[in-house]
Amino acid sequence: MLSEGDILFSSLLSSPSLFWPPGLILLFYLVFYGFLAALFSFTMWVMLQTLNDEVPKYRDQIPSPGLMVFPKPVTALEYTFSRSDPTSYAGYIEDLKKFLKPYTLEEQKNLTVCPDGALFEQKGPVYVACQFPISLLQACSGMNDPDFGYSQGNPCILVKMNRIIGLKPEGVPRIDCVSKNEDIPNVAVYPHNGMIDLKYFPYYGKKLHVGYLQPLVAVQVSFAPNNTGKEVTVECKIDGSANLKSQDDRDKFLGRVMFKITARA
Amino acid sequence: SYRIATSQDKKDDKDSPKKNKGKERRDLDDLKKEVAMTEHKMSVEEVCRKYNTDCVQGLTHSKAQEILARDGPNALTPPPTTPEWVKFCRQLFGGFSILLWIGAILCFLAYGIQAGTEDDPSGDNLYLGIVLAAVVIITGCFSYYQEAKSSKIMESFKNMVPQQALVIREGEKMQVNAEEVVVGDLVEIKGGDRVPADLRIISAHGCKVDNSSLTGESEPQTRSPDCTHDNPLETRNITFFSTNCVEGTARGVVVATGDRTVMGRIATLASGLEVGKTPIAIEIEHFIQLITGVAVFLGVSFFILSLILGYTWLEAVIFLIGIIVANVPEGLLATVTVCLTLTAKRMARKNCLVKNLEAVETLGSTSTICSDKTGTLTQNRMTVAHMWFDNQIHEADTTEDQSGTSFDKSSHTWVALSHIAGLCNRAVFKGGQDNIPVLKRDVAGDASESALLKCIELSSGSVKLMRERNKKVAEIPFNSTNKYQLSIHETEDPNDNRYLLVMKGAPERILDRCSTILLQGKEQPLDEEMKEAFQNAYLELGGLGERVLGFCHYYLPEEQFPKGFAFDCDDVNFTTDNLCFVGLMSMIDPPRAAVPDAVGKCRSAGIKVIMVTGDHPITAKAIAKGVGIISEGNETVEDIAARLNIPVSQVNPRDAKACVIHGTDLKDFTSEQIDEILQNHTEIVFARTSPQQKLIIVEGCQRQVCSEGVELPGMGACSEPARATGRLIFDNLKKSIAYTLTSNIPEITPFLLFIMANIPLPLGTITILCIDLGTDMVPAISLAYEAAESDIMKRQPRNPRTDKLVNERLISMAYGQIGMIQALGGFFSYFVILAENGFLPGNLVGIRLNWDDRTVNDLEDSYGQQWTYEQRKVVEFTCHTAFFVSIVVVQWADLIICKTRRNSVFQQGMKNKILIFGLFEETALAAFLSYCPGMDVALRMYPLKPSWWFCAFPYSFLIFVYDEIRKLILRRNPGAWHWLESHRISEPSNHGVFNSTKLRAA
Repeated sequence: MLSEGDILFSSLLSSPSLFWPPGLILLFYLVFYGFLAALFSFTMWVMLQTLNDEVPKYRDQIPSPGLMVFPKPVTALEYTFSRSDPTSYAGYIEDLKKFLKPYTLEEQKNLTVCPDGALFEQKGPVYVACQFPISLLQACSGMNDPDFGYSQGNPCILVKMNRIIGLKPEGVPRIDCVSKNEDIPNVAVYPHNGMIDLKYFPYYGKKLHVGYLQPLVAVQVSFAPNNTGKEVTVECKIDGSANLKSQDDRDKFLGRVMFKITARA
Repeated sequence: SYRIATSQDKKDDKDSPKKNKGKERRDLDDLKKEVAMTEHKMSVEEVCRKYNTDCVQGLTHSKAQEILARDGPNALTPPPTTPEWVKFCRQLFGGFSILLWIGAILCFLAYGIQAGTEDDPSGDNLYLGIVLAAVVIITGCFSYYQEAKSSKIMESFKNMVPQQALVIREGEKMQVNAEEVVVGDLVEIKGGDRVPADLRIISAHGCKVDNSSLTGESEPQTRSPDCTHDNPLETRNITFFSTNCVEGTARGVVVATGDRTVMGRIATLASGLEVGKTPIAIEIEHFIQLITGVAVFLGVSFFILSLILGYTWLEAVIFLIGIIVANVPEGLLATVTVCLTLTAKRMARKNCLVKNLEAVETLGSTSTICSDKTGTLTQNRMTVAHMWFDNQIHEADTTEDQSGTSFDKSSHTWVALSHIAGLCNRAVFKGGQDNIPVLKRDVAGDASESALLKCIELSSGSVKLMRERNKKVAEIPFNSTNKYQLSIHETEDPNDNRYLLVMKGAPERILDRCSTILLQGKEQPLDEEMKEAFQNAYLELGGLGERVLGFCHYYLPEEQFPKGFAFDCDDVNFTTDNLCFVGLMSMIDPPRAAVPDAVGKCRSAGIKVIMVTGDHPITAKAIAKGVGIISEGNETVEDIAARLNIPVSQVNPRDAKACVIHGTDLKDFTSEQIDEILQNHTEIVFARTSPQQKLIIVEGCQRQVCSEGVELPGMGACSEPARATGRLIFDNLKKSIAYTLTSNIPEITPFLLFIMANIPLPLGTITILCIDLGTDMVPAISLAYEAAESDIMKRQPRNPRTDKLVNERLISMAYGQIGMIQALGGFFSYFVILAENGFLPGNLVGIRLNWDDRTVNDLEDSYGQQWTYEQRKVVEFTCHTAFFVSIVVVQWADLIICKTRRNSVFQQGMKNKILIFGLFEETALAAFLSYCPGMDVALRMYPLKPSWWFCAFPYSFLIFVYDEIRKLILRRNPGAWHWLESHRISEPSNHGVFNSTKLRAA
């Protein structure tokens, strides 16, 4: 038998206008979404538990590194400056200095001097980072020329190879830079031949490999006075290593990079 | 029979002036109060005078020209038509199409801007624009094709118009185009012609016309210059426009042309009754408006929001495209059309006549059914059940070998009765059936004559031989005016030169013509006592629900009618009175086996069933009781009067729930009186009704405030299974839509989060199209094959006002609950893939700016690795693919929960093979899109690692469990928690105001 209260309650329940909306519907959705949020958090937590802190689960999406240049130009990959106007390149210099800050002797003094010419594989649990003497960049090191050649019309551009955990280049990798414009030949690379020493590989990840420094290659384009105002295209490519790709139809930055420089008087 | 089936767009008659409508209205009322025509009562001279014509010479040419100019051509005004290209454009640019067009144009615009500003624009937008445009054009063509098919129905009226007419003008006979016939013209018709206009006959020679297209009477009717009836439809001296002259010739004066003819007015009546769009069209329009509203609102607000958030115009436009594409269920309209077509085909297989697609679902929202008795409620297969002769009721023996209960066949009265029944009968067995049992033979003839033929053949031997022995010399076929049929025969006895007149017909009419009665072979005077005995027998047989016929004969005296006498049936030159009454025979037309059950189900679903029949009220009532239209224990006014032994006038009509209305009373009723009858009685039978009166009834039902749809299934039209199917299609359509709409949420939310949380885009536009037009299609269609839930006919009829195809509850369910779970499933896969590749969820928020920057080619992930633009885009597209696959996985569960409204899937079972096929098909398609080589270039979809397929499984499972629990609560607590229902509520709903009607009359 239904008591009076039951009848009242059930009539409240079934009445669409009295009790249900909006209060209970709101409550329902609150509880419902709260439950969903909890469930989602739980599944995410479970998923994160399966992950390793040091190495991502899959690395097959980046088998081969891309190349990137510094300073970072404002528009696309085009550098424009005027050698007589220091403000036109002040941004670049600042950018370069900032980028090279970890490479100063001061910063590197705790890093290890590693044997040249061979992969520097480590077993842990402590992973050490190898020194990258900035002097290798010679004229582009910024040590002798704080303007990185911009004031002379011989601007320096740094090329770096993307970090990829566990990447072990084969052969003797180097970065080869050429000018696409035939009449402006003078492109110099430092260290000599654009060599990238194998001792900087493999990389063990942000967490283990504290203080790791990527090897750098500097490109110096020398503008003769008669070439001022002309746009020069330079392409840099990884060469000399079989497992570092530099030819991909879709990815224009896989193992290569192309940039343009215009130096005005 | 006349059939009215119109399907025209409401928009078409928008521009017709109001004044016109008022006039139509008046015409309608005129017609329903019987045709107002007086010419048949006038003399020929008066008619000629009225129309200023000469009944020998006809009109003059100039006069005819003048009238033609005044009245316009003699043709039915075609319904206002829309040019084909306008219809096509309406399909191409209406509804969702316009949204998709906007999307496509924005795509081209975005591509144009990119092409203008970037050296190396990506073709994505161009590609997407082309795809969108193709989708719109293909669905537009599809819908146009469907509409073109249904609009052909109206064309049938055009075929009724006669082509040529023979008129007499200035004394000369001339062939003119029927359109040029004018009022007052003298017209000649002959056998085989179509009557060019309404004619008042001034002379006729053996002329018979077939009025079946107007009155439903299939028997050709004689036409003569005499006025035989007050009702112009019954009188002999009027022929009607677009009926056929079967034989003979006649000459008449045109009294009405074109739309003013009776047929023209019925055509107008039909289009006048049509109130706009079919329910499904209204529903779909409502639904499109809803979805479009959501799409536009979301699109515009996020467009503005993204501009405020500092996105560029181009980016904002691309977001807008994404939101539009995600919001529009591109495949849905095609799904709906396919579902309707499939159902129509299935119904056709069940021998239900479905004239057009809309009829399929109109049935679902019917609240009153006006049913013809013959052929719909009953089998239309008559059998003789009883006879009355020698003042006794005998049961007919219907067994093949005459082994059943029998009566004395030697009685002279029986011999006479069997002669009349066999001779005054035009039915014959079709040839080549000598070896087939009599009862199973095919007969050419109407149902009651066939019954008599079979009865006599069984009991008295070959009717054919009997007819050969008694040669027919004259005949007056049955017609609805005199309600009898007679024929005159030579007698079997070669020595007897008298002619035998045999007659059958409505018992009361037959009795009126008799002065004697045959009892035990002897003619005795028909006294009051015998008349009462006759009345009692008639009432008793009629009360059994049987159709009773009276039989009489007369031996014509030889002196007056010697051998070779020329009997003239048009101008009767022999006696048809003072005949000798022989007996009654009654026939039953058994109700279809399924009818009582169907009526019961309809009634428990709140559908009122009204019977409309031409039978005698007593017979009609008996049949109505037999099939449950008048339920047991319910009384009519007459029953109450009989029970209380008081006069009918003293009974309060409100006390009687059931009523039997005589058709002839109807035309004297005001519409208020009809409304009162329809409102105050739940069980109504209309007896002795003419086809016209059926229209009055249907109109009355439509006026009812509480009725939503009135269906008049004509002969052999849809019966109960069709109506159940009608309900089913509506239910299943809702399921399909709920299924399709649910995936909108996991399609929209990625965009919203992309814009607001600045995460890499989780689901792209191409993948959305893959869902809407690919994986979702077959499963959505498969729901059309879903079997009914057990209670489908017990539910109240659909109330078009509150029971929308798509209502807030369905949206709340699909969008707010299931869709949200689905979205979480998709996002989970997305986060898993990014995390496993190095981008942990914590680093994703805000990463979008760098992520989508083509010049940033060293984007750092959570582990310190650096990614080029293309490398991370491949990961992003892999996420799109995984999100897409996750939607497929959660749609599995959605498909299973959409199968039922309240029943558990364990109760319903997985018997729908198409649905199972759909599950496999969508999975196979998803796998194909992910793994087929070349897809990375064509659709930017990438192979998934097997484990990523399982990311959404917990969510799929959750959907299933959640919905099973929800349904369990609904089943346990019917009525309460109804806002949890995705579909219709089942408790008795208030009646809303009807808004749609559909009339088909046969």
